[in-house]
Amino acid sequence: MTPLLEVRDLKAGYGPIEVLHGFDLAVNEGEVVVVLGANGAGKTTTIRAISGTIARRGDVTFAGQKISHASPDAIVRAGIAQVPQGRGTFVDLTVEDNLRVGAYVRDDDPQPDIDRWFEVFPRLEERSSQKAGSLSGGEQQMLAIARALMSRPRLVLCDEPSLGLAPIIVQELFRTLSRLNQEEGTSILLVEQNANLAMEIAHRAYLLETGTIVASGDAKEMLDNDAIRKAYLGY
Amino acid sequence: MISDFLQYLFDGLSAGAIYSLLALGLVIVYRGTGHLNFAQGEMAMLSAFLAWWLSDNWLPIWVAVFICAAFGFALGAVVERVIIRPIGQRSIFAVGVAAIGLLLGINALAPFIWKVTHPEGFESLFPKKPTDFVTIGGAHWRYENIGVLVVMLIVAGLLYLLFQKTKLGLAMRAVASNPESAPLAGIKTGQVLMMSWGLAAAAGAIGGCMVATLRGNVEPSMMLAIFFSATAAAMLGGFDSLLGAVVAGLLLGVIESMGAGYQPDVIGPELKGSLSLIIILIVLLFRPSGLFGSKRVERV
Repeated sequence: MTPLLEVRDLKAGYGPIEVLHGFDLAVNEGEVVVVLGANGAGKTTTIRAISGTIARRGDVTFAGQKISHASPDAIVRAGIAQVPQGRGTFVDLTVEDNLRVGAYVRDDDPQPDIDRWFEVFPRLEERSSQKAGSLSGGEQQMLAIARALMSRPRLVLCDEPSLGLAPIIVQELFRTLSRLNQEEGTSILLVEQNANLAMEIAHRAYLLETGTIVASGDAKEMLDNDAIRKAYLGY
Repeated sequence: MISDFLQYLFDGLSAGAIYSLLALGLVIVYRGTGHLNFAQGEMAMLSAFLAWWLSDNWLPIWVAVFICAAFGFALGAVVERVIIRPIGQRSIFAVGVAAIGLLLGINALAPFIWKVTHPEGFESLFPKKPTDFVTIGGAHWRYENIGVLVVMLIVAGLLYLLFQKTKLGLAMRAVASNPESAPLAGIKTGQVLMMSWGLAAAAGAIGGCMVATLRGNVEPSMMLAIFFSATAAAMLGGFDSLLGAVVAGLLLGVIESMGAGYQPDVIGPELKGSLSLIIILIVLLFRPSGLFGSKRVERV
């Protein structure tokens, strides 16, 4: 089976500084894949390279289509949505308008999808006419995820969704992501520092160290590996 | 005297409507790319010259004005794509300098293209005979002054509908709010910014034609003083609010007209522009985000 997303020899960086030194990565249809790594390992750069927001080299194939040279908006149209680090919501727009922006690439009426995500995230419905900037961090993260889902993506890229959120909110967030994956079949590529919770919902995992993948495999098997557990989970 | 008051009010509203039209353009550009387009007035002047040239030679004046608005749109879009975007990647100050260069360039370009040395007569868009006015409370509200006000309100209304009710407007607001995230929603940011600059320049072009119709002529320096008052209006309105641009434009027009009317010796027509600037200074001192500017609400 060919993977939904296939990345080969990915190199990317900022100006003259290369952050990713060429690695392979794949996400199969219906999978949750987590990339674990410390600060500065290149997690965000990986997400940006896949979504086309920075210059990159190597082959990126999505659903049989080469997207290595595609622009960010073309990549969204191809079916990849990104939840950026720091949420990236449109703070001056209302919650509902944020969701409408998420449906920008679609030509049909977004209302049924808005209603649907309001059911999944009732807090957002309560605040539908508030400006997104007035939401709490957790609510904004939910909004960012709902916004990404409005484009009906086959793959969602999540950049450290747990960042800056209270532990109980983070738990709720990961439960929601897992549910989306199971109920909607949406594939998810998650980069995280918060390894414990991410590994619980992941099928497979990659370990990223200074721009190179140093280990990969089944999430459960990796949790059983003492060396990995000590280094990344701290127990 | 109530009739004096009404007269100054009517005169002020039409002058203010022109400030509003130009301020709308300034606000659209500022919301889009965060720049103050110093060339807004001169681009409007060039567009008004085109309308004059078309109507003088071939076309009915209203048709010429529509074509001039379309030309303004194209001019704004090209300026964004060819000048502002490449320079903007370097520094925001460079864009300011480029816009001032554009101001001077266009100011010299119009007389060069059309070989004009003195003001050229501009056919009025509205009835302009000495008897074309309604009398309200002893004051004369001329048809042309009413017409300019109505045109501004129509333009502002259309812009409001565009921003609030259309997908393009949603994209424009999204790009204004968060230019980094907009492409992640599939928005082609560059196209949206070109549209913003185009719309801004089209509003300005219509403003230029309104100036020409009230003056009865076009000349290269016709927009200079008006541009400063329009900038003042945009600032007073809060720089990111369309409603603010409309209200503040009208307000400044009325204040200038009242000042010049009631204090003909102290203020008069010469110093009325400065009145706007003094008011801005006071408002911004106590309300830095202007009358309608959004204070950014953001929790982290």
